[in-house]
Amino acid sequence: MLTRTLASLALLLALAGTAAGPALAQTAAPATTPRPVPRTADGKPDLSGIWIAGGIALLFGEEEAARIRAADKAAGRPAPPPREPPPYKPDAEKKRQEYLARRGIDDPMARCLLTGVPRITVRPLPFEIVQLPTRVLILYEIHHAFRIIPTDGRGHPDDLEPSYLGDSVARWEGDTLVVDVTGFNDKTWLAGVGTIHSEKLRVTERYRRDTYDTIIYDVTMEDPEVFTKPWHMQETFRLRPNERIREYECIENNEDIVRWEKLLETEFKK
Amino acid sequence: MRAAVLVACGLLAGTASLAAHHSFAAEYDGNLPVTVSGTVAKIDWLNPHIYVYVDAKDDQGKVAQWKFEGYPPNMLVRQGWKRDVTMKVGDSITVFGWRARLEPHLGAARTITFADGRKLAAGPPAGTGGQ
Repeated sequence: MLTRTLASLALLLALAGTAAGPALAQTAAPATTPRPVPRTADGKPDLSGIWIAGGIALLFGEEEAARIRAADKAAGRPAPPPREPPPYKPDAEKKRQEYLARRGIDDPMARCLLTGVPRITVRPLPFEIVQLPTRVLILYEIHHAFRIIPTDGRGHPDDLEPSYLGDSVARWEGDTLVVDVTGFNDKTWLAGVGTIHSEKLRVTERYRRDTYDTIIYDVTMEDPEVFTKPWHMQETFRLRPNERIREYECIENNEDIVRWEKLLETEFKK
Repeated sequence: MRAAVLVACGLLAGTASLAAHHSFAAEYDGNLPVTVSGTVAKIDWLNPHIYVYVDAKDDQGKVAQWKFEGYPPNMLVRQGWKRDVTMKVGDSITVFGWRARLEPHLGAARTITFADGRKLAAGPPAGTGGQ
């Protein structure tokens, strides 16, 4: 039994390849001597680690948010560009405004449905990237969801059913991991209240570990049904080496939506 | 009720903020801050949001039970909260937050202050949310 356990462990380590090494070895970087971006045996930047994109103040408190702002300033790190408004066609923009007027009460995420891409990434809960030789795994705390992203050159399957997180395949362009996501259903919001899309949505995510502690996450959303042009978004992921991904079962006590039914009846009778 | 519950009206700076999984404004009114002092009657330490039930006395000594929604446990533990340790049934607390639009004794908690003076974040700031 012990032998089998050890063999299994060895296999797991072998599967993890060199990616596990730097990930396990992460410690807080000294402020004055920036650490180099870690690389895997094949020379690619190693994205492995536990990251968070947004909501630092909410998740870790105002002091931690202030500390990060000060560190950014000291390092001369520019703030991410302000988020562009979605370039909606008139009909789609009208729908978005209706959802905004209803104060987000229709949000699919509030029903604990899987949050799509890129919204799942920018929620104020951490996620772990596990970079393996032929695929990248992203393990999200929110919804306890995961994505398995092949990096071995394969394309999308030809039997895709529309889904919340879509289907992802990736390739490297220099030091940037470029993830192509398609096969979405139309049941999620992209980034904010009322940011609807159709099943023709295609998302291109670019992950670039520009420093030891950060990943620049650049997203392009294309959907000829709702957009007049591609919608761009950029966020910065922060490494959180001392975090761990915890369980998050959203449906456990989601009583808000029961009360919201009453709100809908009293405020938004059709 | 006035002795224990202070309701102030006025426009707060409504910066965009994020609750864990839904919009603040869907159910709560950032223009209606509320402060409630009383005794913790019950704690639902559950996802996707905790609820704290507070028994608060009004002017005539009549008890009304308030219910406050807060962050999910996953966010609270990262700010130092511990289930059944940081806040217990029977504790005297003061909750600052915002009133619900519909239900008279429901609110969104922002901070909770304990009898020993500790003041902890318990929920997100008022805002539009849903990012």
